[in-house]
Amino acid sequence: MDFYGYTGKILNVDLTNNKISVENAKVEDLTQFIGGIGMNCKLGAELLKPNTNPFSPENVIILGVGPLVGTITPGASRIVGLSKFPATGAIANSCGSMSFGFNLKQAGYDHVIISGKSEKPVYLLILDDHVELVDASKVWGQDIVETTNYLWKKYDGCGVISIGQAGENLVLGALTLIDKTSTFGRGGLGAVMGAKNVKAIVAKGTKGISIANPKEFKNLYKKQIERIRNYPQRNSWIELGMLRSLPINLMLTAKGEKKKARQASEKYYLKNLKKRRIACPSCPMADKDILEIKEGEFSGLITYTSSVINPLLMFTLDSLESANQAVKIFDLIGRYGLDSLTITSLFEFLGRMYDKGALTKEDIGFEWKRDYKTLTHLIEIIAKREGSFGNILADGWKKLAEINDTIANEMLTIKGLDVIFDPRFLRLGTMEFEQVVNPKGAHVASGGSPTYVGAGGTMEKFKNHFKRMGIPDSAIDRVFIPPLKEMGIHVGRLTRYSEDWYTVLTSLGLCARAQMNRFWGLELATEFYNAVTGFDLQLDDLRKAAERSWNLLKIMNIKEGFTRKNDKFPKEWFKPLKLGENELEFKDFFGGTIITVDIANQLIDDYYDERGWSKENGVPTQEKVKDLGLEKFL
Amino acid sequence: MAKSKSLVIIIHEEKCTGCRICQLICSSIYKQRFCPAEAFIQINDAYELTPKITFLDDCILCGQCAKHCLYGALELKEVEE
Repeated sequence: MDFYGYTGKILNVDLTNNKISVENAKVEDLTQFIGGIGMNCKLGAELLKPNTNPFSPENVIILGVGPLVGTITPGASRIVGLSKFPATGAIANSCGSMSFGFNLKQAGYDHVIISGKSEKPVYLLILDDHVELVDASKVWGQDIVETTNYLWKKYDGCGVISIGQAGENLVLGALTLIDKTSTFGRGGLGAVMGAKNVKAIVAKGTKGISIANPKEFKNLYKKQIERIRNYPQRNSWIELGMLRSLPINLMLTAKGEKKKARQASEKYYLKNLKKRRIACPSCPMADKDILEIKEGEFSGLITYTSSVINPLLMFTLDSLESANQAVKIFDLIGRYGLDSLTITSLFEFLGRMYDKGALTKEDIGFEWKRDYKTLTHLIEIIAKREGSFGNILADGWKKLAEINDTIANEMLTIKGLDVIFDPRFLRLGTMEFEQVVNPKGAHVASGGSPTYVGAGGTMEKFKNHFKRMGIPDSAIDRVFIPPLKEMGIHVGRLTRYSEDWYTVLTSLGLCARAQMNRFWGLELATEFYNAVTGFDLQLDDLRKAAERSWNLLKIMNIKEGFTRKNDKFPKEWFKPLKLGENELEFKDFFGGTIITVDIANQLIDDYYDERGWSKENGVPTQEKVKDLGLEKFL
Repeated sequence: MAKSKSLVIIIHEEKCTGCRICQLICSSIYKQRFCPAEAFIQINDAYELTPKITFLDDCILCGQCAKHCLYGALELKEVEE
């Protein structure tokens, strides 16, 4: 049949046998799982056997792009990668952007399934119908920037997913970068590629995407793009990029570091670091950066980032004296394919353990100092797995915890990944909570809701936002009944719907960042979907597809051994966080209630209840499995 | 005698973000699908320091790409011939 929006094609790449084939997608599957993250779950559940070693040939990498990707739909360029991740042992999806997903769609594929292991290093080349495993000996051993530059030059206009030396060396937390900009695969997708001897994946497409109902689509696009164009804050988003979302200078001021705060300010960024603004295909809210150190130490250095917050967050480390040093370190981390958020947490933690005597010079093999040189050394030994300490760190937080009890008890991790959103700093919103209940562990994306825009909104505004996200009327009242009345909203129950809304966006291929997500609602997303694909789905079909996908992901992870015992709030959250002279406590979203262990457990109970999962072990009930038609996956 | 006027598109490459909206609009109008490769405006080195924007010979200067550019990289101007 002719597909619109979708290409209807799934590309299979068997690395072991150098065999490439294409299969047709089934319409029934597309309407049940939509695409992107949803279809990834469906394909993963069919292909991945429980307890597969993440580094074995039996592990798979499934790439998926949604039906809106490749069109002009604003912000539709998401790519989702599913695999079994080595840092956590969870089967999870990771999302990225830039031009790879767009190019893959233009080349004629909705999904790519990569299985087996190549005998020698290769890169996967996808140029429309020409798909080839190409000898990668020229780029194996090179960093991500060198590899991407080489491939960009060879195939102008292509999208590139590349690993660095950390991925090649099976560093458990190694990720990939798309177009040397967008982080993709926190928790070890880079290492899975390394284990398969795949240095990079390259896509370039010239086939085009047709729309089922161009007239309807044109009307929808016209209205949507005008809303975005007229958004009063749009210019400042484009001027400041992600710096607009989290003012790092305020964090530094709170720590009492005024000089550093000035270097993390908007003014400093615009004058001294910003080189050029870049955007994902079809994005009207460009927020990615090409940075250049314009003067002083390391002047002339150019680096790319999907969020300027990431290099500036490194600047909160005491060891770094200037923003230039932070950018230089960030560039080094990106080149190797390490995770800048993990390195930031790790360096701060190791320093603290060293000061306490929980780590000694004998343990680490060198003199510990809180300085730029030591941080650089640390990055090198992890990426290259140098020495016994380098190897321990390369094997992740769980391995580090084996050194002694102090280290094990004080590290701030969830399921083997360092916490990104600490509720003592940002209070307990859905992004903080979702890190606890997602098998994936601590991560960035899938818990977005009104709580990421900060406290202060009225309940009426919250209600409107909840409706926009597609929370059914029958559930909205429950979201407003928290364990204690003064908490205002129930973050546990709300998280279920944040995950489902994220799944709708990421199944369609839409950007989930707040500044774009704000222009979408379930109703509008459904209208776009129907105009593009020609299908006739209702709001509830998309809502249910998202729920189905999330439950299937949960079922896969239950088979991996994840139960309620894994969904634990870090003990450290229940102790005050010292920030300069301030002590921050673990409070609810509005800041009026201290979150106790009992309240935290209640939030998890109610999250399970809202999902239709058993409170005892977090498993979908038989009724829920039947209702979603997932019996065959049990 | 009044001078006739025509449209020109002024390119500000430094403002281009590589979003390809211009190419998507062009191909949707003239090729009835979203296909940057077939657009009459081509962007090379989209994510390099300086992207290169060129118009193919088949371009009739309808100006739709400039009207839809969201970043000021393409400016539509009326000039006297």
